[in-house]
Amino acid sequence: MQNEIEYKNIMNSTEEIMKSLARTANQALSVEEAIQKISESGNESAAAGEQMRAAIESVASSVEETGASIQELAKSQQQVAETTKDTLRGMEAMASGLQEMTASVATVKKDAELLSSSSEKTAATLEETARSIKSVNVNASDLAAASQQLTSAATQTAVSVADISKRGEASAATIEEVAVTIQQMAKGITRLSADAESSAVQVLNLSNGVIQGITALEGVSKDATEMASAVEQTAASAEEMSRSSKMISAQAKELEVSVESAVSAVTEIAASVEEVAATAEKNASVVDSNAAAIEQFSRSVQAVAQSTEQIANLSAETVTATTQLERANSRITTLVEGARKTADEVTATTREGGLTVAKSISGLTSIREAITESSNVIKDMGKRAEDIGDIVQTINMIADRTNLLSLNASIEAARAGEHGRGFAVVAEEIRALADRAAAASADIAKIIKGLQSTAREAMVTANEGVKAAAEGGKFAADAELALSAILKGAESVTSSVRDIERANAEQVQAVKSVTSATHKVSEEGRQVARVTKEQLTTSQLLAKGTSELRTMARQTKEATSEQAKALRDVVRSHGLLKQNAEKVLRAVGEQASVSSQLATASLQMRKLTAQTSSAMGEQTKKLSDLVSIAKDVTQSAQRTTQGLVEQTKGAVEVAKAMEDARKESIATSRAVTEQAKAAKEIESSSREVNRLSNEVRRATEEQAKAAVDLAREGEEVRKISRQTAKAISEQTVAMATISSDAAKQTISMQKVARATSEQTETSKELATVMNDIRGRAREITTVTTQLIKGVSKVANSAGAIANDIAKVRLSNVEQAEGLTKVIAALSPDNQAH
Amino acid sequence: MSQLHVICRIGDSEYAIPADEVFQMENFTVATPVPGAPSYVTGLIQVRQKIIPVLDARKRFGLPEIPVTGESRVVVLKLSERLVGLVVDSAREVQNISPEIFKAPPEIIARQSEGFVKAVANFKERIIMLLDTLKIVGEEFEHAK
Repeated sequence: MQNEIEYKNIMNSTEEIMKSLARTANQALSVEEAIQKISESGNESAAAGEQMRAAIESVASSVEETGASIQELAKSQQQVAETTKDTLRGMEAMASGLQEMTASVATVKKDAELLSSSSEKTAATLEETARSIKSVNVNASDLAAASQQLTSAATQTAVSVADISKRGEASAATIEEVAVTIQQMAKGITRLSADAESSAVQVLNLSNGVIQGITALEGVSKDATEMASAVEQTAASAEEMSRSSKMISAQAKELEVSVESAVSAVTEIAASVEEVAATAEKNASVVDSNAAAIEQFSRSVQAVAQSTEQIANLSAETVTATTQLERANSRITTLVEGARKTADEVTATTREGGLTVAKSISGLTSIREAITESSNVIKDMGKRAEDIGDIVQTINMIADRTNLLSLNASIEAARAGEHGRGFAVVAEEIRALADRAAAASADIAKIIKGLQSTAREAMVTANEGVKAAAEGGKFAADAELALSAILKGAESVTSSVRDIERANAEQVQAVKSVTSATHKVSEEGRQVARVTKEQLTTSQLLAKGTSELRTMARQTKEATSEQAKALRDVVRSHGLLKQNAEKVLRAVGEQASVSSQLATASLQMRKLTAQTSSAMGEQTKKLSDLVSIAKDVTQSAQRTTQGLVEQTKGAVEVAKAMEDARKESIATSRAVTEQAKAAKEIESSSREVNRLSNEVRRATEEQAKAAVDLAREGEEVRKISRQTAKAISEQTVAMATISSDAAKQTISMQKVARATSEQTETSKELATVMNDIRGRAREITTVTTQLIKGVSKVANSAGAIANDIAKVRLSNVEQAEGLTKVIAALSPDNQAH
Repeated sequence: MSQLHVICRIGDSEYAIPADEVFQMENFTVATPVPGAPSYVTGLIQVRQKIIPVLDARKRFGLPEIPVTGESRVVVLKLSERLVGLVVDSAREVQNISPEIFKAPPEIIARQSEGFVKAVANFKERIIMLLDTLKIVGEEFEHAK
């Protein structure tokens, strides 16, 4: 049973194996078929591949050619590129140079503006200086006028002094005359003395007569004795009285006189002392104020000295500063000169560049025109070629037709046999002619084709040439524009440099005048300083003297006040004296009563006196003698008078001389007054001079300040001009770079032109080669499509194969399983049962 | 029997067709295709108010197809009153070739060309193969029958 089942199993599996094997066989068959198909298509594809290979080989060769020509082209293009790069670099360098130049021009402009502004400032300062110098000038002229006035006043003084001396001479002469007159007078007086001697003798005679008179008078003397006794009584009492009264009156008078005189003297003294005191006080105050004024004066003189010293220093500084300024100005002038030259050169170079660029523009324009013209010609030619092509085609067609007809004629002739022989010959000739025509037309067509392609290439090249020329023209126009801008800038630089030059020249002149003026001022300041120093020492001396004077005045004042005090004491003591005098006066009143007694006594005395009168008659007689003597005396007196007349005459002359002298002295005094007036004028002039010198000082201070500003401005100007010089040198360098770059550019452009011509040739070759390639490529395309077709077939077949193989694998797996089962069934374990 | 032959070019080779077998020469531009015809039958054309079939010699010879050019011509063959056109790459001349110079083709060529080439001649330094027009057209006739 078991074995039956196993056997069945084995049978089943074996059947399965059989089935699967059959299937495998089937599938193998289909695989085979598929593979057959694959091989077929593979063959196809191989053939196609062969064709393709051939095509590709030819393509490769033409590509090689193309590669060679392309290499050439590349080389020339590289050259072009290099030259273009060079051009670009040159352009860039030029652009950067231009930029630099623009920047430097901008800085120059800025500097020039600064320069102009500082120059304006300088100009303003210089104007100020000029103004102050003018004022100094005016002051100086005023000073000169004042000095002139002073001189004229001094001259007047001198004249008046000369007058005085003349007058002194005259007065000396007069005095001589006086002396002579006085000598004469002395002579007269000698004579008078002689007369006086004789008159003395006569007086002796007179005395004798008087002695006689005295004897006559002896009688009288008796009566007189009586009277004398009475009178003696009277006299005694009178003597008493008179003595006492005399004493008293003398005392009183003396007293009064002395008191009065004392009082008046004291009062006078007091008054004068008071006056003195007041004067001393006044004096003291005046001295005080004087001292103060002098101190002030000395202080101001000191200040003046200091300021004049300062002036001297400042003007010296100004001198050095202006000298520096002058030097800087001259340096600026040279620098500006250089800048102007450079700018001129720049302008000239730029003009040349402009001309070159204009030339190149015109050349490019003519090139473009020529190219356009040639392109038109080529276009025309192309059109003509097309026309010719059409004609040729027609000819070709006709030839073809003729050939066909001749062939048919030949065939017909052949058919006609012997009869058609002549006809056959004609037909053959016609065919030959037609073939020749066809060959010729084919040649023509070939040539025309080549011509057309050449014309097309030429058109393309011409268009490129026109484009390149247009670009070149644009670049050149740009260059021209840039150059014109440069030119404009350079011209403006030149003009500004010229302005600077002009301004600088004016500045130099102004500075020169300032320098000379400052020199003068310095000199004047030195003189002022010297004079002020002298003044200072004088004022110091004056101050010393004044202080002494003050102390003296104080002492005086003190002494005077003491005196006044003493005098006040004196006046008080004199009051006591006055009281005493009043007492004396009272005593004099008592004396008056005594005097009335004296009067009675005097009555008696009158009587006695009458007696005395008679006696006196006698006396008169005697006196007539005396008269005669007196006549002599008179005579001698007359003589004396005569002498005295002479004396008087001399005296009159003396008086006259003295009058003259007086007159002279008046004149002298007048002259002196004039002198004083002149001196006053001198004083006022000197005051004015002083004031002017003050003004001068103030002006000089202003001047010094202005000069300092000037120096500072000059420094700035120098700095700016240095910057200008540097900027201009940079500009020069930039311009040199530009010019060299332009030269490089030109060379590069030439190279470009050469390379471009080479390129053109190469391009032509390339074009022909490319035509070939195009043909080959077409072939390749067709072949490749075929190839693709075959390959797709192969691919389809391969897919079928893959399917089949999968099926085979599956059936094989099944087979394997079946076989395993068979093996298991056939195993010894199973067989044992 | 005339010695005149029409010389035509198919591919890179020159062939001769006896003028006796040629009815007329025509330019070839286009043929009206015939559905269901063998691949080497280009179609139908009109010659002297007659509609005739045209064969492509290239296809017949197993050469690759090329587009029609101005050179393309139809040699109208007259085979027992039937007119059949054969399109050749070019046919521009007729030559008198004496039959003596025609030699039998080498064995291998004869086998490979399916019997289309009857003989080979060295004519004025040109290798010219004499075509067996019946063989070329014959099958068509067989098919047509």
